[in-house]
Amino acid sequence: MLKTKGLGLGAMVVLGALATAAFAQEKPVAGEVKEGSLKGKTLTLVSYGGIYQDGQAAALKDFVEKSGVTLLNDGPTEIAKLQAQVESGNVTWDVVDTADLPPYVYCGKLFQKLDFSKLDISKVPEGQVGECSVPAMNYGVVLMYNTEKYKDNPPKDWADFFNTEKFPGVRGLDGSGDPTGGLLEQALKASGGDPKAMTVADIDKAIDVIRKLGPDTIYWKTGAESQQLAESGEADMLMMWTGRAMTAVKNGAKYTPAWQDWLVVMDQMTIPVGVKDTDAAYALLNAYLGKQAQEILAQQTSYTPINNEAQPKVDDSVAAFLTNTPEREKQGYKQNIKFWVENFPVAQEKWSALMAGN
Amino acid sequence: MSASEPTSQPAGGRPAGAWKPFALTLPALVLLAAVIGYPLLTIVLRSLSEPEWGVQNYAWFFGAPVNLTVLQRTFTISAWVTLVCIVSAYPYAYLMTAVGPRVRLVLVLCVLIPFWVSGVVRTLSWVILLQDSGVINSLLRSVGFSGVRLIRTQTGVVIGMAQVLLPFMILPLYSVMKGIDLRLMRAAESLGARPSRAFFTVYLPLSLPGVYAGAIIVFILALGFYITPALLGGPRSTMLSTLVQSQVLSLLQWGRGGAMGVVLLAATFLLLALAAPVMRSRHREAGRR
Repeated sequence: MLKTKGLGLGAMVVLGALATAAFAQEKPVAGEVKEGSLKGKTLTLVSYGGIYQDGQAAALKDFVEKSGVTLLNDGPTEIAKLQAQVESGNVTWDVVDTADLPPYVYCGKLFQKLDFSKLDISKVPEGQVGECSVPAMNYGVVLMYNTEKYKDNPPKDWADFFNTEKFPGVRGLDGSGDPTGGLLEQALKASGGDPKAMTVADIDKAIDVIRKLGPDTIYWKTGAESQQLAESGEADMLMMWTGRAMTAVKNGAKYTPAWQDWLVVMDQMTIPVGVKDTDAAYALLNAYLGKQAQEILAQQTSYTPINNEAQPKVDDSVAAFLTNTPEREKQGYKQNIKFWVENFPVAQEKWSALMAGN
Repeated sequence: MSASEPTSQPAGGRPAGAWKPFALTLPALVLLAAVIGYPLLTIVLRSLSEPEWGVQNYAWFFGAPVNLTVLQRTFTISAWVTLVCIVSAYPYAYLMTAVGPRVRLVLVLCVLIPFWVSGVVRTLSWVILLQDSGVINSLLRSVGFSGVRLIRTQTGVVIGMAQVLLPFMILPLYSVMKGIDLRLMRAAESLGARPSRAFFTVYLPLSLPGVYAGAIIVFILALGFYITPALLGGPRSTMLSTLVQSQVLSLLQWGRGGAMGVVLLAATFLLLALAAPVMRSRHREAGRR
């Protein structure tokens, strides 16, 4: 009995060692790539340009040097362009950084269903990997308010943002394109609705709440514009991306964030349908998810890394806007992705009517 | 070559080499067919065939009030821009014909240098000028006026667009005006016309072809403006191109985007067709006088 047990244990250890050995060969490790494995190959990374894409390129520098791949940068990401490439069967974008929802909306159509045996997603924060995407980075949409205007009675959450009686002043919202699901959910909540049981009719209710903010409301078109609105003090309360909020504060804007229910947002990394060398694209993604790559990305861009072990060295002003601390994680509000994926066209239509002054 | 040699044109017939000038336009025609004709055709076809064959995209366009509001607004804003351009370009172009060559060069450069600067840069400078804490408002406040809201209003959009489009008005105006014989004005005055009378009955009618040419170019360019209204305007000054953009780029509704483009094109043609007889008769009238 004892003998057999010992034998069994020994066998298990041997088997286990064998299995680990086999795994070590097969299973990818985030951030690692075989020396010279992509020599002579070319990959095109598509993203949103600016310091963000520069940061991504810096994060991938090690991957490029080790694998021998030639990395080209293109952008900005436009789903319509990608669609044209996929339809014409001539896909030149190998890895595409997209906004939150498109990988869910066009999963399997424009974006490949990912084979997770080729990626190490063990360090990616929970709930962020989709069928067709891994996160590119995290950031937040945060309520920033003018400290000089509101002094001792500052707004605390989005309900206050939508309450123009208690908190008079000019509001600035993201009008750069697509609706922000989380914001509409917060607007619905402010009008007494329940975002968890959201229906299509509720989209109208939520948009009405925003419309009632009045004709003075500013819909900024670019992140830079939102930053400029804070620095010039033109808006009293602003819905802002954390990266821009940080820069505005660094530049002396007298604004401070109200973190309650900040909206969790991420960019996604995807591989389009029909890319010429899928394995090379996987290799890039896998390298991108690595600890060191994510640290470099965070240091260069101030966006929150998506590797749980990443510990970027950032100064206090950047650290104040990183969204992966336990406190921030508790305060964050996650949108109802399923609802917005199902109702994306309807929401977009209603939102663009609001944006067109109706 | 002697004078007695018969000309290549037999009396009453077509000149033998008449096709030659047309042949010379062939490269241009091929280019136009490739870069305008083909894409236009594709747009029309897609507007009728996506997601399925039929007029659903047009039905959608005319069924949604927001589209009609924005279409009307697009024409209103373009008309205002054209008007502002005419009023500000006319004296400028006149001055260009009246001054010496050196000053004219300076005036031409003043028109062309902004023309060479990217539209985005110019529009962003307008943001700096027009915003609530911007140059214009600070100036107004420093002399005791209360500030006016310019940015994110229709006024702001019209100002910005008019500045971008001004060269397209000045240049055709100038090219017509420099052909007007200024002695005609003196002749009119010597016949007893006051300067204003001489201007309105002689000079203005002769310069109208330039006004029409400039107005048409400015108006049509204004209809398709995208960057300026997007950056200087707010929801109440959204133009059709922005809606097209959101249909095509965010919703991938190429059919709807195509239908919007076709409607805009058709509306433009309709307007030009209506305006053409007016312009032609005025032109003839001017010729008669």
